[in-house]
Amino acid sequence: MSGKEFFVRRYQELGWIYREAELKPAIRVNTVNAKRDDVAKRLETQGVILEKIPFVENGFWVAKSEFSVGATAEYLLGLYSVQEAAAQIPAALFTDLKGKTVLDACAAPGGKTVQLADLMQNTGVIVALDVDRRRLRALSNQLERCHVKNTVVYQVDARKAGLLNVRFDRILLDVPCSGNFATDPRWFSRRTLEDVNRNAGLQRQILTEASKILADDGEIVYSTCSLEPEENELNIDWAIRTLKLEVEEVDCYGEKGLTNVFDRRLDSSVAKCRRIWPGPTQGFFVCKLRAGG
Amino acid sequence: MTKPIETFVNRFNVSLQFDKNLIVKKQNRYFLISEALRKFVQRDFFYAGVYLGKVKERVFFPSFILLSMMAQGKANRIVVNDKAGWLFVCGRDVFKRGILSVIGSKKKDDYTLIVNQRSECLGFGKIMHNIEEVKERNKVVVRNISDIGDFLRRERHHE
Repeated sequence: MSGKEFFVRRYQELGWIYREAELKPAIRVNTVNAKRDDVAKRLETQGVILEKIPFVENGFWVAKSEFSVGATAEYLLGLYSVQEAAAQIPAALFTDLKGKTVLDACAAPGGKTVQLADLMQNTGVIVALDVDRRRLRALSNQLERCHVKNTVVYQVDARKAGLLNVRFDRILLDVPCSGNFATDPRWFSRRTLEDVNRNAGLQRQILTEASKILADDGEIVYSTCSLEPEENELNIDWAIRTLKLEVEEVDCYGEKGLTNVFDRRLDSSVAKCRRIWPGPTQGFFVCKLRAGG
Repeated sequence: MTKPIETFVNRFNVSLQFDKNLIVKKQNRYFLISEALRKFVQRDFFYAGVYLGKVKERVFFPSFILLSMMAQGKANRIVVNDKAGWLFVCGRDVFKRGILSVIGSKKKDDYTLIVNQRSECLGFGKIMHNIEEVKERNKVVVRNISDIGDFLRRERHHE
């Protein structure tokens, strides 16, 4: 159960007709370090053509540039980060982040950690976890480059986050996933349904751990860059039933989450999730969860 | 514990005041943490708060955040034009012709920050000649020791 034909047929059953994505590189201004419009002006002076991304606050698509926007003095000074447009959505869904205790459970390479710190204006505390030491170095470099001050990083598996003995006000679960074809040209030949199911199992373990360490009035934002419902709607439906989490309405780009997946009826609140099929952005899935009453 | 940092900072004719209770060391790396962060920093952390730098073979290597903190104070600095700034970020030395102004020491062998016209710190280097005595525009005045292009070099190293 693999191959392009197999997956494309699945997408069609879910209501989406396959087409190539037209991804544009994107940046996000770190507003702690610079004003959004100042950064845009500095890049435009160098001949970069930017387009404001309509659904995120501080993001721009790079419509044209003669050089890599990941190698400018402004980038190296931490004035902005290179971050795909859809990937800028999850951190922005939390309410009232300033001064909060936040867990970024699968943090490396750190794009969303930096964004969280920016949204928090370097107040409060972020605990950032990842299992891979090499990726933690990349995360640390991002934190240094962007002058992040409120983060502590541990080499810890998200499934063991409870070992930290902390209750978190906000938890970002940008979980390891199968990815999607928009960012990986060889995706269809590399991925199988078995991979998808294995990742879905890992994601449920991470969700379970997060539900145990969430403060009573806390929020979890769950996201993947997978298009496969096993890693998205089916996992959230499982979390509603098993972990007693509730899905909260979010106002963001994307279509409603699917509530009928391969003839299986899901909890109606799964529609409050957002599913983004590849187009101007990569494929993505995001939702906000709270502990149920 | 903060001696290597203080010694390094002093070479720029500036001093920074740190609350020593908020400086934590992990192996050879130094971090400045906030009061809020303190109770979350356990012994086995990987990175915390503001990375200040590391000691390797008895030499202190500052972080770029520390250099930026110094640039906000009265540390020696040389303001360079955009072209010289970009070349410096690419690992090159600073020539006399790229210098717009000098603040603080102009003396041979002193350390100086290199900043752009917006006072953003691009790194630091060592003054190679007494600057006032240098008349030739094509002479190297500051030898590059460390620049923010290092972030890209590290990224490539990690790939």
